[in-house]
Amino acid sequence: MSTQRSRRARRQITGILYVLPFVLVWLTFLVWPVIYGFYISLWRWDPLRGSEFVGLRNYQNLFSDPRFWNATWNTLEFAAISIPLIVGFGLIFAVMLHNSRFRGKAFVEASLFFPYLLNVSIISLIWAWLVDPDYGILIHALRLLGWQEAPAFLNHPLWVIPLIAIATGWWLSGYRMVVFRAALKDIPQSILESADIDGANGWTKLTRIVIPLIKPAILFSIVLSALSAFSVLGQVLVMTEGGPGRSSEVLALYLYRLGFHYFRMGEAAAVGFLLFLLMLVVTILAFRFLGFESEFERKPGGAR
Amino acid sequence: MNRIRLRSVLLTLLFLALAVIWLVPVLWMIDTAFKPTAFIFTRPPSWWSPEWTLGHFREALQSWPFGRWLWNSLVVATGATILTLLLSIPAAYSFARLAWRGRNLLFFVMVASMLIPWQVNSIPLYFMMNSFDLLNTRIGLILPITAMPIGVFLLRQFFVNIPRELEEAAQLDGASSFGILTRVILPMSLPALGALGIYVFIFTWNEFFWSVIALTRQEMFTIPIGLKALQGAYDIQYGLLMAAAAFTSLPVLIIYLILQRRIITGITMASTEIK
Repeated sequence: MSTQRSRRARRQITGILYVLPFVLVWLTFLVWPVIYGFYISLWRWDPLRGSEFVGLRNYQNLFSDPRFWNATWNTLEFAAISIPLIVGFGLIFAVMLHNSRFRGKAFVEASLFFPYLLNVSIISLIWAWLVDPDYGILIHALRLLGWQEAPAFLNHPLWVIPLIAIATGWWLSGYRMVVFRAALKDIPQSILESADIDGANGWTKLTRIVIPLIKPAILFSIVLSALSAFSVLGQVLVMTEGGPGRSSEVLALYLYRLGFHYFRMGEAAAVGFLLFLLMLVVTILAFRFLGFESEFERKPGGAR
Repeated sequence: MNRIRLRSVLLTLLFLALAVIWLVPVLWMIDTAFKPTAFIFTRPPSWWSPEWTLGHFREALQSWPFGRWLWNSLVVATGATILTLLLSIPAAYSFARLAWRGRNLLFFVMVASMLIPWQVNSIPLYFMMNSFDLLNTRIGLILPITAMPIGVFLLRQFFVNIPRELEEAAQLDGASSFGILTRVILPMSLPALGALGIYVFIFTWNEFFWSVIALTRQEMFTIPIGLKALQGAYDIQYGLLMAAAAFTSLPVLIIYLILQRRIITGITMASTEIK
């Protein structure tokens, strides 16, 4: 009896020892900063001259700050444009590559994936040059295609966010393509063959069988793209620094400036928390309303 | 028969055209990098130039410590990859196989914490790293990346699917849990370890948010932060900027040409677990 208990105790200790190194790093550099960040957000934080506890006033200040709402709006606009581009192009490329066989397919896949491997500064520099108002090759091409009034996108308050979103779509859709191709490969060939026997054409097969079967992967991609869109910083910082004016100042950039240009750390931490809250809400809504649980609870044979 | 042939030729051409169009921004970067300034700013823009030059590369490399930045990026990405693997393997094994109280709860909390974005962490991390004197250091960049639970999550999903019979055989031979991990589990998990390694390496190599906050001293910059500084300094000197961008994507391109299949399958493996 006592040997059994001591064996159980030893198992408990062994199990914990194995996770301990990671858990210590995780607690120190991920969990603790979240708690500490919330604490900072309750203060008028000033490490040099002494901080003052202000409760929720930082949050109240943000809610009455037009610049905060402008940044929120810009972030949502960026998300609304970039997510369909990333997921849409990724899905189209994946379906196209999945359904065809030809020489050079590996090259095509490699080319479509390649931009994902470039870092955010590189893609931002490239795109800023592509749409240079005077010498940009993209602007020139658009004029050749008949859009004479093609604007100087990055200097235009209405076009700046769509352009950054397009650049982001170009950058990240290759990654989504790879994810969707993996999902497509999991579709049992027999289902498609029996659809063939029933005389279904390509379009019917795509919309009635393929898309419903990879729906969980699509939903997951949308949520993950949303999370990354809400935290966009690099593209904006390199391409426009939030300009012209503040028409591309997103939440992450506002946070960065509050913290490291104006040294209003309490408010910056509060922006971080509000952004986190936004992400949490989106994720929970997605889980509740988009039939997400299928991804976790799907049982063998229990296709939905 | 001929119609099918024609269709497949057309399809191939369509795909190749798509691939080339998709790469136009990259090709234009390379094209610009080799053109003398006078032929960069022409109207209409032209792919051809009467002269070509290495001058932009020379100027960029002479005025800015690119070697140092590449080295920083390499050390940070390698360090983060190795440390993530070292910490994740035992933790994932424990979550997948060892029975202890609190295991499932802790795992759940850990998975939930994957949602936490850098924005929430960056300000407090800045003060913490400042008090540890770890701003502008490589380890200060590595540690917060290593704290992300993605590695534990990925490997745990993989370990759980390894058939238990193999371990039971080793157990009968008297192997300890450590022996089972190193001699049974790990040799079977090389593809998963590779996938995780590739994923973490690419993530760290391109990491921007935390780096731009933690790095203020030029000699500690990584590539993305260095390029941002360059852009601030040169504004619209696109010859030089494109040369710098092309030069710093060269290592990525070379590795990609060599390891293309491995990188795509690695990303596929990692992403089908996280999606």
